[in-house]
Amino acid sequence: MSPERIAASLTLVLIVGVAAYAVAESGISIPALFESWGNAERFFERVGGIEFPPAAELAQLTALTLGIVISGTVFAAVLSVPIAYLAASNTTPGRGWQAFGRFVTVLTRAIPDVVLAMVFVLMFTIGALPGILAIGIHSIGMISKLFADAIEQVDEGPRLAIRAAGGSKLQEFTSGILPQVLPSWVATVLHRNDINLRGSVVLGYVGIVGLGMEMSFAFKSLNYSEGLGIAVVMFVLCVLMEIVSSVIRTAMLGVAPSGRGLGDRMVRGVANARARRSGGRGVSAGERIETRAGLDTPRPSGNEPHAASDLHAALRRPWTSTHIRDTAWGWTALAVVVASVAVCDIAWGDLVTFWAKVPEIAMKFWPPNFGSYDAETMLSAMGETIMIALAATLLAVIVSIVVGSLAARNVAPNGTVRGGFRLLLLVVRGIPELILAIVLIVITGLGAQAGTLALAFGGIGLLGKLIADSLEEVSAGPERAVRATGATRAQVYASATVPQGTRALIGHSFYLLDTNIRAATILGIVGGGGIGYYLLNAGQGSNYQVVTSIVFMILVTVLIVEGIAVWMRRVFR
Amino acid sequence: MSETSVIEVEGLTKRFGDTVALGDAALRVDRGEIVVLLGRSGSGKSTLLRHLDGLETPTSGSVRVLGEEVPSLTGRRLRALRGRIGFVFQQFELVPSLTVLENVLTGSLAELRGPRLGLWSYPKRLKLAALGHLDRVGLLDQAYQRADTLSGGQQQRVAIARALMQEPEILLADEPVASLDPESSAQVMALIREIALDAGLTVVCSLHQVDLALSWGDRIVGLRHGAVVLDTQASGLSKAEVMEIYGKVVTSTTELSAIEDELTDAASVVEPVR
Ligand SMILES: Nc1ncnc2c1ncn2[C@@H]1O[C@H](COP(=O)(O)OP(=O)(O)OP(=O)(O)O)[C@@H](O)[C@H]1O
Ligand SMILES: [Mg+2]
Repeated sequence: MSPERIAASLTLVLIVGVAAYAVAESGISIPALFESWGNAERFFERVGGIEFPPAAELAQLTALTLGIVISGTVFAAVLSVPIAYLAASNTTPGRGWQAFGRFVTVLTRAIPDVVLAMVFVLMFTIGALPGILAIGIHSIGMISKLFADAIEQVDEGPRLAIRAAGGSKLQEFTSGILPQVLPSWVATVLHRNDINLRGSVVLGYVGIVGLGMEMSFAFKSLNYSEGLGIAVVMFVLCVLMEIVSSVIRTAMLGVAPSGRGLGDRMVRGVANARARRSGGRGVSAGERIETRAGLDTPRPSGNEPHAASDLHAALRRPWTSTHIRDTAWGWTALAVVVASVAVCDIAWGDLVTFWAKVPEIAMKFWPPNFGSYDAETMLSAMGETIMIALAATLLAVIVSIVVGSLAARNVAPNGTVRGGFRLLLLVVRGIPELILAIVLIVITGLGAQAGTLALAFGGIGLLGKLIADSLEEVSAGPERAVRATGATRAQVYASATVPQGTRALIGHSFYLLDTNIRAATILGIVGGGGIGYYLLNAGQGSNYQVVTSIVFMILVTVLIVEGIAVWMRRVFR
Repeated sequence: MSETSVIEVEGLTKRFGDTVALGDAALRVDRGEIVVLLGRSGSGKSTLLRHLDGLETPTSGSVRVLGEEVPSLTGRRLRALRGRIGFVFQQFELVPSLTVLENVLTGSLAELRGPRLGLWSYPKRLKLAALGHLDRVGLLDQAYQRADTLSGGQQQRVAIARALMQEPEILLADEPVASLDPESSAQVMALIREIALDAGLTVVCSLHQVDLALSWGDRIVGLRHGAVVLDTQASGLSKAEVMEIYGKVVTSTTELSAIEDELTDAASVVEPVR
């Protein structure tokens, strides 16, 4: 073992130890859970069921929320193309540009969209624009990171061919690389759109219009029935969006993307599942076989060329089913984007006028200080956030190993068990953890426990699926070898399947920790404990210098965790 | 410098670290000639061809193509020269997810400014020309199919149509049939020759099959360890003579038998379709 591996292993043990301590400290226990179930019943008795806002208002709020989220995602999707171009090592014009691209990627990802929203709300007239920009800028990081990864994995051949034909650098990119990475880009953007919809609730707490704001008003005025009603609407929206985007990813893309990015993995998972259901016949494979058969009978050389009129006729592209499908998807996507922007009723003038306010507002945020809080309070709040993330991750890992294994084809005792657990994971994944947190907080009271539980629950949906997928991807050879020795099912699992899947597990767990740290920082905004509470307070009390110091603490934490995560994934690859 | 030469390579040396890919190579090709570069794997065929298109910078030596000193060109002028030279690759190098027609159209990028994506972004005039070239290679009916749904032989014909789209004066081909089955190979080689004769193209095509080279080319240029060791007209030349000429440049008998081996196995190798 190399010294680096030893160091990494020790760090891993240390992190797990701290996480275990965090779980113990959080006081989550099975009896307590049952007790809070009792709380929930009493709570609902008191509230007397849920209520929805009037239908017209609800429809308008829903449209606005969807509009803001989709516009923001599209904004990020567009900007991520040049950023990824700069950040990818095979397309970047130079080292300096690459460093700049990577810096933008890391920075936009590290600043929570809530913080951006807080700042933008000060700069713009009330409306959709601050929300769109906050979501958009924060999303650039993830989309361009995964997009740059995809660009680095393309086949360089077609691009070389375009260079050889005299194409410019830009043309090499648009004609040779972009078509290859478009499927993974679309998949990533759709995935990000799901995440943004889930996160949009919190933006309402800091003044972004839409369902989230309505919900925060309802809870603040102690109108629990309506608050919960809106929460239910958000649940349903998120689940619907998840279904729509996974349908698009598989149907429109047709071909399973081959990248290693998270987006690709997910799409591939769905596509594989589809292919398996339809008897192992993937969409593209089927088409390929049809066209290969019998068509490779070129006319002998010296053939009669077609008349000019035939060539003119061939200019019109025939309406094959593929062409109809692609065109329909294209126009639908365009219509959705246009409608989203339209429904936001953007005050475009703001984009011109806000620059004048930037210096003045920037001054308010500088220099950073802790205001009336002492450093110790702030540091321990940050510590609490970290503990929430660690505890939630560990809980999720433990449950996911069980659930994920049972959802893997090569581990599950039979198809029914596997199908059942896959479905369970799908449902869990559809439930946005932030809304779960809000509901838990409303029911069981403020505090870290609700936040931890909500994050852990959400983590199971993501991690369980990733574990199931990577277990299914392990090579079957060692399993067969162990089975041949007469080992039991459990023995095969323990000595052949698990060892192969361990690396993937470590990688995925750190990915989850990374996500959870970000999520935990904003949990406090809705009352889930940790630094977020102080962030919201500072923002609402116009203590912007405190906001700056909190953002710095969050940035440092996120970057450290990300650094460790990258290191772990590299060492245990 | 002769006026009829379109390619003049002198003293060309290319090193990759410690590997000498080309050592003092020289080559002169006249307009309209059909030349085969023959040589074993690693002899420097691809490296030489890539230098002709400015895809590689020489360590030393001179590369003049169509009257331009290639290594000195940059930016727009380099792209303009590349636009006059078609290049056909062993692995076809089509963009898999684009239609056949759009792949052919990428051959016209040198004469277009700015990025293009989607058929609508190309002018009608070019689309008609592209369809004409597809017709020429017998694939008009496949124009709107995705490129990766075609067979290897068909893909290579699309790549040829893409090169034709440049209306090139020179066609470079790097083992264009090494990934094809014998039948498709014959078709593709015949097509290249036919098109070259029609349009008066100058062709430099690398191959590793001696038999094919002899039956197909007008002139054979043999490379070995990055140097030209054979340069002769193909007509009337036999395989034995090729080996004999190779033999003159080596000294020991062991090396001679090594050459014999390499020529026989080069001739018998038919690489599987990718
Ligand atoms: N980019 C590169 N980096 C390092 N070495 C290279 C590079 N390109 C070529 N070489 C080396 O240069 C030598 C000549 O390679 P080249 O590809 O020109 O041979 P070739 O005749 O085309 O062979 P093949 O028939 O296998 O295609 C080889 O030893 C090769 O390893
Ligand atoms: Mg080669």
